[in-house]
Amino acid sequence: MSSFWLADSDARVLGPVGLDVVRDLALRGKLNDVRAVSKDGKTFVPVREVPEIQQALQVTPNTDELARAQADATKQIRDWLTSIKGRASEEVFRVPPNASREAWRAAFFSLVYRYVPGRLPPEATPELRLACEDAFLTLSERMVDVERQFRATKPTASNAAMQTTTLQVRWRGGMIHVRITLARGDVQPFLADHENTWKQDCVFIASAEKLMTNTPADLTIGFEGHVTQIHSTGRVVGSRTTPSPGFSVKMLDLGEAQRAMIRTWVARAS
Amino acid sequence: MALPDVLIVDDDRLLRAMLRDALSDIPCSVREADSGDSALAEIAKQEPAVMLLDLIMPGRSGLELLKTLTTKGVKTRILVISSLDTESLVQQALADGAHGFLVKPFHPLEVQNVVRGALEAAPGAKA
Repeated sequence: MSSFWLADSDARVLGPVGLDVVRDLALRGKLNDVRAVSKDGKTFVPVREVPEIQQALQVTPNTDELARAQADATKQIRDWLTSIKGRASEEVFRVPPNASREAWRAAFFSLVYRYVPGRLPPEATPELRLACEDAFLTLSERMVDVERQFRATKPTASNAAMQTTTLQVRWRGGMIHVRITLARGDVQPFLADHENTWKQDCVFIASAEKLMTNTPADLTIGFEGHVTQIHSTGRVVGSRTTPSPGFSVKMLDLGEAQRAMIRTWVARAS
Repeated sequence: MALPDVLIVDDDRLLRAMLRDALSDIPCSVREADSGDSALAEIAKQEPAVMLLDLIMPGRSGLELLKTLTTKGVKTRILVISSLDTESLVQQALADGAHGFLVKPFHPLEVQNVVRGALEAAPGAKA
C-alpha cells in the first residue's frame, strides 16, 4: 500500500501514512493546511501533482460531526466556568494553598494552554472561540491576583503601564492607522460617541487629529488579557472637539467572532 | 541512583514547556528535542526511559522517528502526543511501536498519570 508524507505551510511533516489515514483525517477536518506531498519522505511536490491525495483532501468534512463536537466542547467549557465560580484558585489550579510561585505558574500555564484562542482551528465556531476567550481571561485574571499576592504591595512601573490603554495614531499611505490596546475594563472607545457605538460597529478614538468624514482607516484593537486582536479597515464617520477631541471609525469588515469579542468585552465591563 | 529520564520531542516550545512543568511533580530528569533529528542525537547520548513524541514536526516526522527507533530496537517507552486522533492513525502509531497515545489538548494530570505508568513499565524500573 502506498505511503505518503504531508507537509504544511510551516514545513512540518506528517508521515508516512496510508491513504486511509489521510481520508480519515480529512473527514474530521484535521488536514486544512497541507501544502506539499511526498511519496518517499524526501521529495515534496504540490498537492495537485498527487491526484489521490488531492481527491482525499477535497472531501467535505462531516459538518454534523464537527458542529456537534464543537458544541460539546463549548458546553464543556461553559459548564467548567460555571463550576469554578466562587471556588478558591487553589482548587481551580489544583495546587496546595502554600504552593510556590513557580508551582502556581506551572499550574497556570498547564491549564491555560488548552484555551489559548490562537490555537483554535480556523473553522472553530464563534461560540467556541468566545468560550475559550472567557476561560483564558478567567484563568489569567485569577493568575494576576495570585501574582499580586506574591508581589510587594507597591505596584511596579510595568504593572501600572498594563492598566492604561495605549494608543498610536499615524498617517501612512493616505490612510489613518490606529493601533489601540485597551486596558481591562476600558469600554470608552465603544461607548463614548453615543451616535456611533459598538452596536453600529464603531469605535471612538480619542485623538487631536482633525479628520474628514470618510477618511479611510486601518484599525488594530488589542484587549488586555486576550490573545485575540481585531484588525479591520474602516471609514471615519464623525469627529468632535468637545467634550474630548476624537473621531469615530466604522469598522467595515468585522466578522461575527470579532463582534462577539467586542460584545463580551463591553458586557464584562458593565 | 540516577533518576529515570524523559525526553520530550515536539517542535512547539510552549508545549515542551507545558509538558516539562507537568512532569515537575514526577521524580525524573527531563530533556527536550525540537525535531526528529535532535531527538536522535539525544537518544544517541543516552536512551531515555520514556519519550513523549509529537507526530508532526519539521524534517523527520514523528512517525518516521518512531519507526526508526523501533527498527533499532530501542527500549524506550514511546508515548505519542497529537491532536490527530483518528482511529486509523492511532492504530498505525501503535502498530509502529508506540506504547500509548495522548490526545492534545490534555490536562497535566493526564500527562503525569500516563508518564508515571510508562516509567513503571520501563525496562529497569523497580517492580
